[in-house]
Amino acid sequence: MIRTYISHHPLEGRIPLEPGIRAVDHLEVPRRQAIVTVMAADGEETAVAAALSTMSEASLRFVGPGEWLVVSQSETPDGLVRSLSLVLADTAYVLDQSDGRIVLRLSGPNARRILAKGVAIDLHPSAFAIGAASNLLCGHISVNLARTGENEFELIVARSLAESLFDDLRLMGREFDLSIDFSG
Amino acid sequence: MASLIHCPHCGIRPRQEFSIRGDASVTRPAPEASDEAWHDYVHLRSNPRGRHQEHWHHVAGCRRWLVVERDTFTHDVFSVTDGAAVAREGGR
Amino acid sequence: MTAYRLASGGVIDRSNTLGFKFDGRAMKGYAGDTLASALLANDQLLVGRSFKYHRPRGIVTAGPSEPNALVAIGKGAATDPNTRATVAELCAGLDARSQNRWPSLKYDIGALNGLLSPFLSAGFYYKTFMWPAAFWEKVYEPLIRRAAGLGRAVLEHDPHSYEKCWAHCDLLVVGAGPTGLMAALTAGRAGLRVILADEDFRLGGSLLAETTRIDDRPAVDFAEACLAELRALPNITIMPRTTVFGWYDDNVFGALERVQKHVVAPQAKLPVERLWRIVAKRALLATGAEERPLVFGGNDRPGVMMSGAMRTYANRFGVAAGRSVAIFTNGSAGYRTASDLAAHGIEVAAIIDSREAPHDAAPAGVRVIQSASVIDTRGRQRIRGLVVERAGFEETIACDAIGMSGGWNPVIHLACQRGAKPVWSPELNTFLAPDIGKGLVVAGSAAGRYSLGGCLQDGAERAARIAADLGFPSAGNPLPAVGEEVDPSFTALWYAPGARAKAFVDFQNDVDVKDLGLALREGFGHVEHAKRYTTAGMATDQGKLSAVNTTGLLASMQGISPGDVGTITFRPFYTPVAIGALAGTARDERAVPVRKSPLYGWAEKNGATFVDSGLWYRPAYFARHGEKTWRDSTDREVVNVRQHVGLCDVSTLGKIEIFGPDAAEFLNRLYCNPFLKLPVGKARYGLMLREDAMVYDDGTTSRLSPQHFVMTTTTALAGGVMSHMEYCAQVLWPELKVRFSSSTDQWAQMAIAGPKSRLVVQALVEDDVSDKAFPFLSAGVVTLKGGLNARLFRISFSGELAYELAVPAGLGEAVADAIMAEGSAHGICAYGLEAMNVLRIEKGHATHAEFDGRVTPDDAGFGRMVSAQKNDFIGKRLSTRYGLTAADRMQMVGLKPVETDQHIRAGAHLLREGAKASTLNDQGYVSSACHSPTLGHDIALAFLKSGRERYGERVVVWDKLGGSETVAEICHPVFVDPGNTRLRV
Repeated sequence: MIRTYISHHPLEGRIPLEPGIRAVDHLEVPRRQAIVTVMAADGEETAVAAALSTMSEASLRFVGPGEWLVVSQSETPDGLVRSLSLVLADTAYVLDQSDGRIVLRLSGPNARRILAKGVAIDLHPSAFAIGAASNLLCGHISVNLARTGENEFELIVARSLAESLFDDLRLMGREFDLSIDFSG
Repeated sequence: MASLIHCPHCGIRPRQEFSIRGDASVTRPAPEASDEAWHDYVHLRSNPRGRHQEHWHHVAGCRRWLVVERDTFTHDVFSVTDGAAVAREGGR
Repeated sequence: MTAYRLASGGVIDRSNTLGFKFDGRAMKGYAGDTLASALLANDQLLVGRSFKYHRPRGIVTAGPSEPNALVAIGKGAATDPNTRATVAELCAGLDARSQNRWPSLKYDIGALNGLLSPFLSAGFYYKTFMWPAAFWEKVYEPLIRRAAGLGRAVLEHDPHSYEKCWAHCDLLVVGAGPTGLMAALTAGRAGLRVILADEDFRLGGSLLAETTRIDDRPAVDFAEACLAELRALPNITIMPRTTVFGWYDDNVFGALERVQKHVVAPQAKLPVERLWRIVAKRALLATGAEERPLVFGGNDRPGVMMSGAMRTYANRFGVAAGRSVAIFTNGSAGYRTASDLAAHGIEVAAIIDSREAPHDAAPAGVRVIQSASVIDTRGRQRIRGLVVERAGFEETIACDAIGMSGGWNPVIHLACQRGAKPVWSPELNTFLAPDIGKGLVVAGSAAGRYSLGGCLQDGAERAARIAADLGFPSAGNPLPAVGEEVDPSFTALWYAPGARAKAFVDFQNDVDVKDLGLALREGFGHVEHAKRYTTAGMATDQGKLSAVNTTGLLASMQGISPGDVGTITFRPFYTPVAIGALAGTARDERAVPVRKSPLYGWAEKNGATFVDSGLWYRPAYFARHGEKTWRDSTDREVVNVRQHVGLCDVSTLGKIEIFGPDAAEFLNRLYCNPFLKLPVGKARYGLMLREDAMVYDDGTTSRLSPQHFVMTTTTALAGGVMSHMEYCAQVLWPELKVRFSSSTDQWAQMAIAGPKSRLVVQALVEDDVSDKAFPFLSAGVVTLKGGLNARLFRISFSGELAYELAVPAGLGEAVADAIMAEGSAHGICAYGLEAMNVLRIEKGHATHAEFDGRVTPDDAGFGRMVSAQKNDFIGKRLSTRYGLTAADRMQMVGLKPVETDQHIRAGAHLLREGAKASTLNDQGYVSSACHSPTLGHDIALAFLKSGRERYGERVVVWDKLGGSETVAEICHPVFVDPGNTRLRV
């Protein structure tokens, strides 16, 4: 029997179907996103970084020396793996994590104040500029945090911890009436 | 409350992001080294008061093993370097 | 409004009347009052009973160092005990109660302790109640505990919410008095990111009670102008109601913000308190100086108060501390209080000055008694008078309050929390903070610069220096002009001679001068010993008021300098912090994060009961209608897997993807068994050792391509194995070309086990999964019907024909549903951790119950797996050491009860039949046990001395905790299908 399998998002039970009133501070959860781990082969770190920076359809998140998460909104997971393999050839190892990671996008004038309840790093633009990304702790949970705009941040978290992080963020944003919704 | 470690890859981070393994000055002996050398490596550690090199793992960050040179009494940190770089220099 | 509220004055809002309750009595105060100022205005001077003697005690200070006015605020579970009334902000509806009294504040039975005081002297805990020994726990301790102590902790669940927050700045200014305001302003104008924190709800510090004019306007207006400018600067964060309580490594400060402590009905969306961790490049301590009490006979009666506090109550709150006030002083400060009180129309009964020829001017008509000493006081629940002695002559002076002024103690607590010892200054007759480096700078009164102009200048100059140091040039701003300055000098007086009554050093802990003398005589004269022996400087105030006098007295009793005595150790927290605030939001069900498998929803709808497994919630069993206990469900699930087929969620096992030309070599060094020649498309069981040759973890590793392996670890050690591999790759063998990353969360992984598992798997998978095409230990990528790529492994934990299927996590639930649907014709059931455990014990498979860190591969029966050919692997060198090869090591065996209706439990110890239960006779222990539905009786895995030679022998399974002794037969640990015929079909 031919079957089609429907993908399930771990926050489906947490986010109401009817979007409420959008507040100035908002948490947006993309339903689907392509996320791929890229690990440079020994000695190829600089070459891989250079090659990745030329990709227009994806953004780059620093994880550690020679390791990045590549995130794309427009590509499918398979498509992103394919195009990365093409660009990087033998210089790097590519691993699909699209199902293993969840993206949470926090935006609004109080985004920094909300994040400061869980994140120890200095989020001032002079210390964490647009485009910066890093693995760090948000409360008790390890995430990759990126600044995607003046008042816009993206958190990438392991799927199994997504509900806990989501609950944490909602609590952190309670003071500012943070609204939440799926996107995409 | 907190103390801060300057990770060479991630910047200034709180202690909570790391786990500490201990003495970084010991070197794993060659397989054919003496029983004493292996016994020392596996079981014996000095516990100095003052300057000490330790392996800290940036578990919640870049996941690199770092060599932190610090004072065990004052917690003054003198240097933090990538463990692999230190190991390569040591000619291991 | 009331007898003690002055007709005018103060920075309170007289248009805003607030009703509150104290011990059930309705009272009124104004916005801007503290609870203490409102109580004083209502003639409620008596606020508590002392710790040991239950003496009546009144309000002594107007700030955080208050030792006496500790009250309980709030109702029921929301009660905060030991709140200092002097810092509690008054709000409408506030409900406060006195503590440590029974049945009432005025008539307290515990006051009888005062009669027993000869027996409650220093060290009484260690001496009085020594005999008979058995009496301590049953009689003395409960008695003392009931009589002594401060407020009562609330035992109910704390209904308040808390949160934690990080902040970063170039400069943290602690204290918003004249020094702090000028520092913040200077640094703010220069462009630094500044945080200005102050524990008060109104900022300005001493300026709020200052009568000297600044820039020819009232000091309060100057403070307001500073604050207005600071609020307008975007780089300044002002944090009122925030106590900086601790200074930690790397210039991190802990601070507690009372967000809604002053609100009777807190908003749900805000925390009641917020704990801040402030990372400051630099910090400036502008915490001011505390007035020092005088130690004289009867100095603890209600109505004896710090002279500066009287000034604050009059100038800031418009409250008179008494109608007729006497001042006892050793310096100019007492005269300033006298002048301010007189200006408010309060009668000053006399100024008693311990100095010989002071030059200070008393207010007109006020009598000054020089070279004099107060030796006793009169009155019980409020002062009625004092006895002054001068040159052998005594005189009683009527008064209803006494202001005391014994000099100044700079507040240097934070500066000395990280090991630096305070330094004695003979010039200033006090302790100052030592030079503690660039991170924290002490300024203003906290640095011994007591004059108002000096404070303003010091704050500005030191902040400018910090700004320049951090690369911010600051424009030289002119300093404000200060009106008439008051001389802050004083002559140290540690003890007013001739005391007729107890002269208290520490009010909160009821320590008097004689207690310190006793401590010294009995050999506990070291300041840290004296603290423990007498309790001076303990409890909630930690000696804020008493510590310097304690040192001064110990020094003068020995004829040495206070600098040679030193001070007790300053530690965080400066003032008490609720444990709830330290926990923040991480409490109750949010104490730790929860991890959920991608198959959580599938398990839930199939009726799973979940169990915590580390951070994971995992299905323990799937109860069906009519099943009463977990055993009913588990037994059914086990039998169903052995006879038909079952589906189990194994997504929580750690999965690590390993890449690179040296990946095989890396694995070969990591595992004790060989991996170099593992063919592509094959899985292999691997045993990982620690360097001390004990088993660390196990799992299967499969080769998906020549340079790509996928390893599985146990759920428990997924994180540990990853860290271990990173250590090996980065530190031990950086020359190996290998990279790896966890993919645990990417895959939903399902074990499909049982004789009919192939039928179910084949129904979903395009590829041929027959034994010929996909034999035992095959591994590879397959395509599900419909085109989805998945990973399939032919591995078995249950001992049955089994497959593990991994699909992208988002599709896990849908695929699991499909398996259940396809399997229904074959009698499929979901099975949980409990059934999995029974299945593996029946099959003799070890887990971390067996691999507990004391077990070698040979102990567990894997001796032959350890490669002798390999030159090196983790644990190789120490695996042959003496002791690990001894013949009497405990080896893994099976156990079955001789009487099949008897039970065996894990944790039980093994004895020879007839042997006495003793450590010497211990033969081993049971690591895992269960009821086997397949065999119909209990079975167990155990470690037994020389176990493998003893199959067929009997042992006694001795379970002291369970209270049972069972005779069991030793057998091979594989109970079901020892020939492995079922899994290779």
